[in-house]
Amino acid sequence: MTATVGYLAILGAAFASAALIVQGFRGMRNPERARAEKLQWPVYGIVGGAILAMIALEVGILTDDFSIAYIANNSATTTPFIFKVASAWAALEGSIVLWGLVLAGFVFTVYRGFAKRTEPDHLGAGALAVMGIVTLYFFVLMATVSNPFTVCVQPASIGCIEATHWPWADSLAALEGRGPNPLLQNHILMAVHPPMLYVGYVGMTVPFAFAMAALLLGASGTEWLLRTRTWTLIAWGFLTAGIVLGGLWSYEVLGWGGYWAWDPVENASFMPWLIATAFLHSAVVQARRGMLQAWNFVLVIATFAMTILGTFLTRSGVITSVHSFTQSPIGPALLWFLMVVLVASFGLFAARAHVVASSPRLDSLASREGVFLLNNLLLTVFAFVVLTGTLYPMFVDAFSGSQVGVGRPFFDRLAVPLSFGLLLAMGIGPITPYRSAKPEVVWQRVKNPLRVGLGAAALAVALGYRTPWLVVFILASFFVISVIVRNLFVTSRTVAEKREMSLPSAVLRTMRNDAGYWGGQMSHLGVAILALGIAISANLTVEADITLTPGSTESVAGFDLTYVTPVSRQEPTRFVTGALVEVTRNGRVVSELEPRLNQYPTSTQSVATPEVDASWSGDLYLSLKSIDPQQVTLGVFWFPFIWLVWVGGFLAAAAVLWSRLVKKPSDDRQTEARASRDG
Amino acid sequence: MDSRARTLGGWAITAVLAAVVLVGLVIGDSAGEDRVNALGARIKCPVCQGEAIGDSPSETARAMMDIVAEKVSAGETDAQIVDYFTARYGTGILLDPPFSGSTLLVWLLPVAAVVGGMWMILSRKRQPTRTGPAHD
Repeated sequence: MTATVGYLAILGAAFASAALIVQGFRGMRNPERARAEKLQWPVYGIVGGAILAMIALEVGILTDDFSIAYIANNSATTTPFIFKVASAWAALEGSIVLWGLVLAGFVFTVYRGFAKRTEPDHLGAGALAVMGIVTLYFFVLMATVSNPFTVCVQPASIGCIEATHWPWADSLAALEGRGPNPLLQNHILMAVHPPMLYVGYVGMTVPFAFAMAALLLGASGTEWLLRTRTWTLIAWGFLTAGIVLGGLWSYEVLGWGGYWAWDPVENASFMPWLIATAFLHSAVVQARRGMLQAWNFVLVIATFAMTILGTFLTRSGVITSVHSFTQSPIGPALLWFLMVVLVASFGLFAARAHVVASSPRLDSLASREGVFLLNNLLLTVFAFVVLTGTLYPMFVDAFSGSQVGVGRPFFDRLAVPLSFGLLLAMGIGPITPYRSAKPEVVWQRVKNPLRVGLGAAALAVALGYRTPWLVVFILASFFVISVIVRNLFVTSRTVAEKREMSLPSAVLRTMRNDAGYWGGQMSHLGVAILALGIAISANLTVEADITLTPGSTESVAGFDLTYVTPVSRQEPTRFVTGALVEVTRNGRVVSELEPRLNQYPTSTQSVATPEVDASWSGDLYLSLKSIDPQQVTLGVFWFPFIWLVWVGGFLAAAAVLWSRLVKKPSDDRQTEARASRDG
Repeated sequence: MDSRARTLGGWAITAVLAAVVLVGLVIGDSAGEDRVNALGARIKCPVCQGEAIGDSPSETARAMMDIVAEKVSAGETDAQIVDYFTARYGTGILLDPPFSGSTLLVWLLPVAAVVGGMWMILSRKRQPTRTGPAHD
């Protein structure tokens, strides 16, 4: 019953998507004839189908309906409620259902914008049609190679061995489900990280769809950019937050003592982020100066293609990582879709090249536009490096059959100088005037921040921290932070004098007055803090493996660790083995930590839960590597100032809210905003 | 203080700070390099999913880290230790692709991308004939 409802909902949404394509393209050609009413029912059909499919899946999971193969293999009666809910997207087929739901949500918001307009909207109708194509593809996936509602015809005592697509088949329910992958039911972030990323990934469909509609209409102006700005920013914010959450999950759960490993699937989320970031910046150049029209089309197509590539890398089993799902026919289906997207969109772009190739040229490299170009160069090269490094071993293997490894050392070596270049551009760009900047104007704005950066670097050197990249990143991060703070202070002081108000309220007024610009600056501040955190944790982390017998003590990074006693207990869903460790510093007890290994009944592999003692100066991180009655082996890490990574990352993401939600003070004019941007 | 003296003072502070940073970098790190962990990051754990032996908790990886530590304390060079592992497991064991052979291209492609990108930007620049007002 549940399977039937779910499957019909998917078919309904696929049918509605096809209708949206037809009606959307009609509306694009002749908006008078296809008004909002005509697009209404396809949109509602997609939204309704997507919601119903998700509800059916959740109902099946929560009622332990093991006649559905997906549920038998990814949930269990003993799974805690929150992980049951999350197991709806914890494996391949379910994750596509969530994808479809998020996509339907975006279709709905675009439709609302379309329906509100009183004048004929060719562009909006075309964008809805393009979104219909993407929606149709994903619902057809769900109805065919990635069907979450296949019913079990050959159950095992735990889980399901064979299933059929036919929802009316005589199903045989498994007695008990397999439960989610232990790695995934070990931490609450699992419930949050994937939806965040999906909103980020899927949101990029909106600017892509508008860009394609603009190309189809031969309308190369800025309308598609300006109308999709909110979606692009929101999607970027979610993508950023999703990536940072993924790092936090890796840090809290995996127990290897890090947050980023250049794992192929991390890369798969990072590549669209890099291109989307380049796009956000070059969109500003087009909006302000009419330049880079063609380039923005290239970037928005590339961003969308990267999200599909990322999905392909994660879902196809071509790479091995903690994220990859099992081999499945969805791989070729995604690869074909990627090819079609690339050929169709770049083909359309080439066919319309004559309408977009007329943008004005650059006056001078020493200008805001010049720095924007540098930023775009660095970000796209960065994305290209990540792409090359991720795919290279696959290609070598496919063509010559030999195994080559491209891993962390490769990425680090190239990512570090590229990030440094980006930091510098981030410091200088936002205070450089458009068109042509006088050197003395720029110098006036950077000289004091440069001194702050040098001061911080000199202090680090004096304290004995002399790893070159560390010192250089401290300099650059403090430079960027002080440029932003100085800019805000100087602009607000002018406002305060002119309006005779106090400085704090002038700061607030300045930031509200040009929320787009200052939201961007807050995001930059976050990235600078993040860069500082990464540089510190990459260079100053202390790492040791120690083996202790009960009662014995060892010192790591100034902490004395005493192994008090082994602990073990049965929890409802798992058996926990741990070691109680007392941490003292200079004779004073700092904390008691209990790193654990969790054994889930449905899995042979045990999962570590590291325990962290967090403070302002850093995290002491203990991970249990092995334990037997005689002794325990612990991975001990000291991560100085690791909170900078989380605070910086989330600030960068959350700043989007400022730039989109904050309204201008009602009585104000634009003069001060102009002053803060162009000086 | 007149403005000229202030400018000079500012320059002096900048110069002193820059000098401190430069001297510090030239003197270099007080602690010796952690060669064992550096090598551990470059060698892939053969039984894991793309993890380095320095990161993986598996038995194999830890045994290999022990070999690395032994060889480092025996005074072998990084190249000798890397050769030892590639002789046993093939070049696929390296996470740090060598600048030669089948992995030369993975280093050259990013360089080509930078050169191509620079060329594109420079070709976008207008010839130095001013048409618009110089400031905005």
